[in-house]
Amino acid sequence: MNKFKTLIRKDWIISKKTLLMPFWITAGFYLLIILGTVIAYYKGDVQGNLFDFPTDIPINAISYIANLSVVGLPGLMSIIFTIMLMQGALNEDIRRNCELFHRSQPVSIWLRTGSKFYVGLLGNWIVLFLITLFTFIVINIILAIIHQFNFYVAISGMLQALTAFIKTGLIVGSFTFFCSAIFKDKAFLKGLSIIVAVHFLFLIFNSLFGWKLPLPLTYLLKLVTIDTGQRILVGIDEFEALNLIKNAWNSILFNWKTLYQVLFSGALFAGATLIYKNKEIK
Amino acid sequence: MELIEVRNLTKKYGSLKALDKVDMNIPEGRIIGLLGKNGAGKSTLMRCILGFLKFDGEIDIMGERVDHHKESIHNLIAFIPDVSSLDDRLTVQQTIDYVASLNESWNAVTAGRLLSRSDLPLNQKVGNLSKGMKTKLYLLITLSINVKILLLDEPTLGLDIVFRKEFFNTIIGEYFDETKTIIISTHQVEEVEQILQDIIFIDEGKIILQEDIAELKNQYSLISVPTDRKEELEKLNPILITHTLGKVNAIVGSDVKIEGAEYSRPSLSDLFVAKVGGSNE
Repeated sequence: MNKFKTLIRKDWIISKKTLLMPFWITAGFYLLIILGTVIAYYKGDVQGNLFDFPTDIPINAISYIANLSVVGLPGLMSIIFTIMLMQGALNEDIRRNCELFHRSQPVSIWLRTGSKFYVGLLGNWIVLFLITLFTFIVINIILAIIHQFNFYVAISGMLQALTAFIKTGLIVGSFTFFCSAIFKDKAFLKGLSIIVAVHFLFLIFNSLFGWKLPLPLTYLLKLVTIDTGQRILVGIDEFEALNLIKNAWNSILFNWKTLYQVLFSGALFAGATLIYKNKEIK
Repeated sequence: MELIEVRNLTKKYGSLKALDKVDMNIPEGRIIGLLGKNGAGKSTLMRCILGFLKFDGEIDIMGERVDHHKESIHNLIAFIPDVSSLDDRLTVQQTIDYVASLNESWNAVTAGRLLSRSDLPLNQKVGNLSKGMKTKLYLLITLSINVKILLLDEPTLGLDIVFRKEFFNTIIGEYFDETKTIIISTHQVEEVEQILQDIIFIDEGKIILQEDIAELKNQYSLISVPTDRKEELEKLNPILITHTLGKVNAIVGSDVKIEGAEYSRPSLSDLFVAKVGGSNE
């Protein structure tokens, strides 16, 4: 366990810059909004109806959707930075000529890859959570001032969107991690290109010969798709809205798809480690 | 006691045989030089011993069978390749902490002593260190681990003479005793000749010779005569003839004597050239 902690500390040190990048981007984004608002205020360009919400959507639904949206930008950033970090996970040491140094330490390969996988995914999730939490607080203070605030609805919206992005990150990150065990650089793009090529090849075979070969890109996209169930909230009353928000957990987390995603991710991690372990160090 | 036993070791890169049925025993308490031309198989042999490469044949380290990527081997054997292979992204302190935490046989007293004698900047990134400083750091982290075998693969490549001398002095002073073994692969054989006890010549993936250096040198003499007496030397069936200013030198059997010649012990590099031949480059 101590060795795993040491590896995590080392992987955190070398990934720190990339992991913390979303904080700086978010800070810049907020600075731009504040600057824009201040300039607009002094120029008298602030719209009077900015916070006039549509009347056919329940107040709780507005709060819910607002809090779902809170995760949108940081979630997208999290996925991009997960790809950036994971695509160098198992090949960066080789490129930097320090693979021999790390491999000369008495540590299991599974611990080494586990630490990289853990830091790449969990690190990005923690950053995503912190940015989301900050945005959640800001948005809900504004909502509470101009509107009614329901903590249950707000936190449900935020957590559901967060869960959806975390699950997407899990699949995208695991796929990229797997690719990093095969390719020396640009692992994600190369891996995706192969999936797309195989997909279209199978598509051609299926249409030419009437075969039913499984289409890899379709399967991957199914696993990656974010489903937060927010489209169904228009034209319903407050009670129905609360019920739908509660039930949305079933479509987001408590279903077979989640199990598939976890198993798929585990299989990619194990596959990546076996490929990495099988490689020779010259 | 044999620390390393290699039996029938063969390693192929495609159709190229990098190692060809190598048999070798490495005893404890010896400093062994591994000499070979570029591409002779020195680095491949070391990487097979460390389990970094797949191979055919058997390697045992202190009775433990070496497999491809068997991490427990690194509890018995430490390795210094070219010093540039440290992780540039870590600081000196982070590198020391990292190696100390991963190695159960880490000796903090040795590490402290080596650190106090060096001027290593602890908060500096390894990538910003000079090659000499990187050498000191590599020595510190390697010699602070209590292992029986130390493999050095061209460790002083690109270092100036001062650091090269310091490197080997530190290894002999801080690491070596009669229970440990060091295997050094280097091109700069003249620099390590004085510290080596045994020598292994490797060529085209085969072990040409493995012998105690003193015994090897006792078998031969280096005879020098003026250039006009070259024919006399050629009649003695020397294993090597070289020329220096106004003189011709030959390596012959130690029992060979000729009148008016100067006698000395041949150097390792002369013996290597005699046994293996000139450069392939």
